[in-house]
Amino acid sequence: MRYALLLIPMLCSAADFATEIRPLLARRCFACHGPAVQKSHLRLDRRADALQGGESGIPAFEPGQSEKSLLIRYVSGTDPKLVMPPAGPRLTVAEIALLKEWIDAGAEWPGAEVSAAPKVDPRLAHWAFHAPRKPVEPSVRERAWVKNPIDAFVLAKLEAKGWRPAAAASDADLLRRMYLDVTGLPPTIAEQDAFRGDWDGLARSLLARPAYGERWARHWLDVVRYGDTNGYERDEAKPQGWKFRDYVIRAFNADKPFDRFVVEQLAGDELPDRNAETLLATGFARLGPWDDEPADPAEDRFDQLDDILNTTAQGFLGLTLACARCHNHKFEPLLTKDYYGMIAVFNGLVRPRNGRTELDRPIGIPAEVDRFNERERQIAALREPARRAWLQSGRSKLSPEAMATHRQTKRVPKELEREWAELPVEAYVARLKRETPDLARGYFMEEPKAVPKATHILIRGKASSPGPEVGPSVPEVLAKAQPSFALPGGRTSGRRLGLANWIASRENPLTARVIVNRVWQWHFGDGLVRTANDFGVMGDRPSHEELLDWLAVWFMDNGWSLKKLHTLILSSNTYRMAKTGNAPYAAEDPENRLLWRMPYRRLEAEAILDSALAVSGRLNPKLYGEFVYPKMQKEALEGSSDPGKVWKAFEEETASRRAIYYIVKRSLMVPLMEVLDVCDTSRPAAKRQTTSVAPQALQMFNGDFINRQARHFAERLRREASGQAAQIELAYRLALARRPSAAERDAMLSFLRTSSLEEMSRVILNLNEFAYAN
Amino acid sequence: MPTKKTRRDFLWETGGGFAGVALMDLLTRDRVVSANSILAPKKPHFAAKAKRAVFLFMNGAPSQVDTFDPKPELTKRSGQAYKGPLTVGSNGRAIGYLMGSPFEFKPRGKSGLPISELFPHTAKFADDLCVIRSMHTDTAAHASGCLQMNTGSIFLGKPSAGAWVTYGLGTDNQSLPAFVVMTDPRGGPIGSASNWTAGYMPAAYQGTLFRSGAAPLLDLQPPAGVNDKTQRQSLDLLHKLNTEHLASHAEDSELSARIASYELAYRMQMEAAAVVDLSRESATTRERYGLNDRLTADFGRKCLMTRRLLEKGVRFVQLYSGGGHIEDTWDGHNDCITNHKLHAGETDKPTAALIEDLKATGLWDETLLLWGGEFGRTPTSEGVGKPGRDHDWHGFSMWLAGAGVKGGQAIGATDELGFAAVEERVHVSDLHATLLHLMGLDHTKLTYFYQGFNQRITGVRGEVVKKVLA
Repeated sequence: MRYALLLIPMLCSAADFATEIRPLLARRCFACHGPAVQKSHLRLDRRADALQGGESGIPAFEPGQSEKSLLIRYVSGTDPKLVMPPAGPRLTVAEIALLKEWIDAGAEWPGAEVSAAPKVDPRLAHWAFHAPRKPVEPSVRERAWVKNPIDAFVLAKLEAKGWRPAAAASDADLLRRMYLDVTGLPPTIAEQDAFRGDWDGLARSLLARPAYGERWARHWLDVVRYGDTNGYERDEAKPQGWKFRDYVIRAFNADKPFDRFVVEQLAGDELPDRNAETLLATGFARLGPWDDEPADPAEDRFDQLDDILNTTAQGFLGLTLACARCHNHKFEPLLTKDYYGMIAVFNGLVRPRNGRTELDRPIGIPAEVDRFNERERQIAALREPARRAWLQSGRSKLSPEAMATHRQTKRVPKELEREWAELPVEAYVARLKRETPDLARGYFMEEPKAVPKATHILIRGKASSPGPEVGPSVPEVLAKAQPSFALPGGRTSGRRLGLANWIASRENPLTARVIVNRVWQWHFGDGLVRTANDFGVMGDRPSHEELLDWLAVWFMDNGWSLKKLHTLILSSNTYRMAKTGNAPYAAEDPENRLLWRMPYRRLEAEAILDSALAVSGRLNPKLYGEFVYPKMQKEALEGSSDPGKVWKAFEEETASRRAIYYIVKRSLMVPLMEVLDVCDTSRPAAKRQTTSVAPQALQMFNGDFINRQARHFAERLRREASGQAAQIELAYRLALARRPSAAERDAMLSFLRTSSLEEMSRVILNLNEFAYAN
Repeated sequence: MPTKKTRRDFLWETGGGFAGVALMDLLTRDRVVSANSILAPKKPHFAAKAKRAVFLFMNGAPSQVDTFDPKPELTKRSGQAYKGPLTVGSNGRAIGYLMGSPFEFKPRGKSGLPISELFPHTAKFADDLCVIRSMHTDTAAHASGCLQMNTGSIFLGKPSAGAWVTYGLGTDNQSLPAFVVMTDPRGGPIGSASNWTAGYMPAAYQGTLFRSGAAPLLDLQPPAGVNDKTQRQSLDLLHKLNTEHLASHAEDSELSARIASYELAYRMQMEAAAVVDLSRESATTRERYGLNDRLTADFGRKCLMTRRLLEKGVRFVQLYSGGGHIEDTWDGHNDCITNHKLHAGETDKPTAALIEDLKATGLWDETLLLWGGEFGRTPTSEGVGKPGRDHDWHGFSMWLAGAGVKGGQAIGATDELGFAAVEERVHVSDLHATLLHLMGLDHTKLTYFYQGFNQRITGVRGEVVKKVLA
């Protein structure tokens, strides 16, 4: 009997596939994982399929290594939640032993070659997975309309339908459009007066203003799920977290090449020329929400890694790789091992903290940080024995109870703090601090070791079910060869730098396309690919594939310069079209996919608030710095678990800054921002929504912010113009950058007979035209 | 395969595509049902009785063994040490001894459903209540627990159940919010607005906080110094200028939707103010809801407002009992007995009055009630020598009642001491699947495309609990 033989395995030859293994598999497994049905996409009747594994992406068995084989793990029921077969009796000890023996002997599968024809996945041919090549500019009939190649690509598609682009926007409309688009602020009267028709000069001038960075940084902050707090129960401000926001503003203003921008955010600490700025950039990994009281700390660790991976994959690559955490991606050619290969890249990162207290870190060039850390070590070595001696000396005036509490909790009461400050050792400490001054601090993760701990594929994504070990890798579908992840002699593993350099390379088929498409979306409202975070098989097909590729290659050829890209777009006739309707075109192409006109789109929450401040004359132009708490109605705090403490509003002038400086508090968003569709901050946001519902109108019409600006606006009108007609004209020019029509002036004059200038100002700030530039 | 989100879907979601003129015609009718609104009513997946839902959220987590899950064995072994296999308690807090409930359970109604003496008023409707004694969830912390109970996920940023229902069904009354939330005067739940957020969906689906006082909605009233006549004149001017702008430029559904939103806001101002004006409710009604007693006045007012909101066609109402932290909520770490007497005392009478009124007005047949907190509490005391109870996520009780629910029954069971659900276990996702099913929505079909796939409130889980259904 077989069973008897198993007792002396040394003498036994490998289990026979045809007579023993296959019948066993057929009897107990094929009903669900056989020729007819493949539950979880697993098929066990063909060797190649079994080795490919099911949706977990893990092979059913590893020839020669039964102890690592999923099949054995499942049938032997080591994890009570993962037992196979799910119905009927469990496999017997003898049957399991038979399978082990067969696998250990190499899992011979006679005749397997015949059935192992390699399958070619048609999804691999997907357009976005292959590097863009610069297409030839198409020829068009109406050459005169073509100012640059963008126009040629757009016009060619219109002409193919026999259509014509919309007429050019009026100068007044275009002026306001460009100001709002580039800086998020309307043109002042002086700027309107001074403008002489030099559009390209205007674009250059606007792009050179700090206000450009304040507007466009906000777009990027949407993508990287920026928030100033962690969310969940405590929802506390992240110490120095706002410096990442300032880093982004500065990067846009300095026109930091986008490839460098990518590398700094992912691996600024691994760069040979790392410095304070590149360290702050790595705050990227630490921007997301995290639970301060996680249900399961091991799972929580992977949830945080998932957050970094997902933001990286969607933000830079337009890939929904995070869907491959528990199983191979259901729709994209992305595998679980691709996912965990990327997890391995980030697995060395740790979040500096002390219990539930988040810690920041000193920033500087490596030598400075080393000196500072050495100073801190020396100070601790001096202070510790001196303080211990003080407590033992009996000279402390601390009450015995306070002393006991201190011993137990390690918390230092104020009184003890004062006593310690008097100790002689502090003189030495002060000298050390003079010799090596404090460094500025920043908020980012750290990679403390050059060799991170091993990363395993997690079966069904569960931290408690580690599968095979994987090293760092990038998704196979995108890379002919894996990049190098080594950093010889480095303090860190160099894995993130390897990933970053690969993402920021010309060979990467996605990076340039994805950012070029985002920039297009931020100018036009919709991207050429409307799913800005998803360029995969499930993503939107580009409306103008050749234009997208042309722009991507052009962008790389031009040093990944965003300002050059803006300049190109702003100088096109496509951008300068009017927003006028066209009924026949709209009937055929209601989504304006062919760009037969410039589309309407509402300004984002920030631009609406900033414009209102600019118009009222109360915009505080201060750049950078810690976030501000704007005024919030008491009623708005009723839903908070700490209504009395949660929000300490700043006084008006300090708070009247651009909305990018408002605190992004995850559990309590500023209501006016929220109702104006500010983005979700928990995941990378592809695009702002635009909704118009009654509560929004209530806040815009009755709310404190707009009404306060309306009052300031009215005061300004009285101050700067005399007589109602002049005040109306000034109001229109300030708010809408145009003069009122005669009918509009009459309507306003008639309104002012019974109503105040404040009420007129309120109406103007609520006009559709105020929120939707022409 | 998931359907890709197309512009057409987007238009469906935002309700766009209708001409502004037709919309303005609709606006002039009495009951504003705007076809152009993102909140326009939609048909359910299948016919269902429940048109509206009320979630009575007992914030802080009520104890199952003191409310709806009698445990004689626990009483018998009260004072003994717990020696079971479960991880008990949270945050490394010390565990005390088994602690029987001091509250008497009596069989109630014709069904004999046992309910503790904490709820003498609600117990009158025992034959309407469907208690699930075998609830379980994935987390022992309030923040993630509240998120999971409200959004189906322990992670921030997911839409709440009220948002999903609003997304699925829209609302019948555009001049009131579709999804109303009322919190406790002591504060909101931990996680605050994350609990009624629309997450990745448009903000229009999120819960609107109905605040205490005469102006329940933020900025409902015109600013100080603006009377109603001026307000109307200003709105008329705005309307005129916006309409001219629309005519002289392209027709655009976004522009016309925004014009309509101001008219809806104006109506909301009147309708919302009317709904919270309880002055015309009779003395008897006020007494039944407990408005004359300081203990019950706040929750009573909220329950009475709930009835009025339901009458006006509001789709989903969520009421919070308990706010802030620890003993201000049902989170009875120190003294669960006194704690539950307080919070049950505050809510029992008003809840019963709400049920009674819904039955009297006929709304009962179209309204679903859901009662419970984010998890349960341990059958052990917390620490030694104090009658507190710690968090228990392995097993707890909730109840449903109203449209489509088979009352007078208890489903599932915890172990003999009440620690963990052992029979007919119902996960929070199963509860959500059941809630949606009762409202005519299939939780596997109610999806929203985001982050590369079709999201569901139930994620990859969720089974409708058939026994709940009438």
